Amino acid sequence: MEFTRRISQLLHEDHAATIALIEAQENMIAAARTTPPDASDPRTRKTLESTAALIDHEVRHHFTFEEDELFTRLEEAGDVGIGMHLREEHAAILPLGERVGALAAAALEKGFDSASWAEFRNNAGELIERMLAHIQKEEMALLPILDDLLDGETDMELSELFAAES
Amino acid sequence: MTNAALFLGGAKQRLLPASLPFRFFVTASVFHAAAWATLLAAAGDLPGFAGGTGLVLAALHLMTIGVLLMTAMGASYQLLPVATGAPIGRLWAIRLSHLLLVIGTILLTLGMALSGPALMATGALTVIAALALFAGLAIGNIRHAGKAMPLVAAHGWGALLSLAVFAGLGLLLVLDFSGGFLSDHVGLARAHMLWAAWGFMGLLAFGFSQVLVPMFALARSVPRRAGWIELTASLVALLAGGVGFAAQIPALVVLAGVGTLSGAAGYLWQMRAALKSRMRKRLGTPFVLIRLSWAMLAAGLVLALSMLALPSWENGPALAGFWLLVGWLLSFLTGVLQKIMPFLASMHAVGRGGRPALQSDLTLQAPLRLHLICHILALALISAGLAFSVTPLILAGAFAGFLGSLGFLWFAIFVVSRLR
Repeated sequence: MEFTRRISQLLHEDHAATIALIEAQENMIAAARTTPPDASDPRTRKTLESTAALIDHEVRHHFTFEEDELFTRLEEAGDVGIGMHLREEHAAILPLGERVGALAAAALEKGFDSASWAEFRNNAGELIERMLAHIQKEEMALLPILDDLLDGETDMELSELFAAES
Repeated sequence: MTNAALFLGGAKQRLLPASLPFRFFVTASVFHAAAWATLLAAAGDLPGFAGGTGLVLAALHLMTIGVLLMTAMGASYQLLPVATGAPIGRLWAIRLSHLLLVIGTILLTLGMALSGPALMATGALTVIAALALFAGLAIGNIRHAGKAMPLVAAHGWGALLSLAVFAGLGLLLVLDFSGGFLSDHVGLARAHMLWAAWGFMGLLAFGFSQVLVPMFALARSVPRRAGWIELTASLVALLAGGVGFAAQIPALVVLAGVGTLSGAAGYLWQMRAALKSRMRKRLGTPFVLIRLSWAMLAAGLVLALSMLALPSWENGPALAGFWLLVGWLLSFLTGVLQKIMPFLASMHAVGRGGRPALQSDLTLQAPLRLHLICHILALALISAGLAFSVTPLILAGAFAGFLGSLGFLWFAIFVVSRLR
């Protein structure tokens, strides 16, 4: 996918990385089912490390940037609905993402037992579904709107701000 | 902005009350089971079927009007206002069109099964009244779509033109069963089928695919030029085929065949490009059906065209028709409905702890897996039964289709139960 604005492209690349991680999580959950996976296995370890790190990045930095810099601009341009809807989704995803990130970090230290794996599986399953639906809306609605809304100078400022905080 | 951007951007604001689209989807699921059950009873009559009243004709119309048309109307009522950003019109008219379509389908197919001309004519007129209401509402809406989504809107106009033609031809055919005034009933029946399957259902499927497939697969790249080529080729096919079948001009029938093949090629090229550029790799069960539908579209058209060269194969036309109606259109619609119904329901329902509802809480995998397996089994068994004129295979296939339709009905009822 190609966008005309740099900031749309940067957000899209973030989404692509998140989807790649989500699919790795899905594979890990589908392979292990109800039996806790071995957290020392290199592939599982890599997925858990990415989960702990990227959740933190995606959930905090990406969401905060959108809410402070993008939705406000959309609202100023008269488009209130989409920002309001995406904020609601952020509010549902944020605590879930933090919980999954914390469970992944704990598993990296101590491994999974039956209870912690069941909790990880349930929370990650819900996070995967909410995140996919959310990315779908941002990719199909938010990013194309930004392409139309922003001028070159604002696009450059926002891109630098987003990259600096990453 | 992309089609999908406009679609999702306006989705929340343009939602109809849930009871409106879902009444069409649940009714279609009931007729789906009724169509397979009727085919089960008519299995012995299917080999060599070449028209005429009876259970096969009733099963065919339960499938085309009861399932395909019913779903298309329900989906259009919900998707058109979201896609065009304009209201669909009066809600009572939507409710009335549903009621008329249900009554019309029951009367028409009963009339066909019992060979009752008066019942058939009453049913056909009632269906036409439902279609007229639908057309009026859709025209009012699509008039506002031109600038926003020209390709989707153009497909909508083509579908509405086709609706007028196939409904008019259908009424003539029904009246001819008692009046016997048509000099070429079979030729007009073929033109009716072409305008209904390719013109109305096909153009709607092609048009909505521009929005739905990229949205489901998280893809952006749908080549627009291929879409316009597909539409042009489809319209040429409809005009050439309509005149060719009605006036018995073989060259025009061949041109129609080339037009449909070219149209399908343009559409499949678009869908291939969309899936190639997708971000989401796992597309799930619905896309097994959607991909199957694309394969059956190509296979059905090739088989239908080869019938022009092999006219002596008695079951060839029935097999080609089965591949196109059940293999292409029914597979596509059931695949799309599996995505759309939980998606729509999630926009109406409230999830756990007041959070937005999860689509996985609004769907059931077991009945959908049952439907998928049985649908594929039905396609394979009936195809083999028709190819080799083996009635027990057709019987087994119709039973598998019936079992699968019960699975789909179970899923539809579950989704609706979650709306409360």
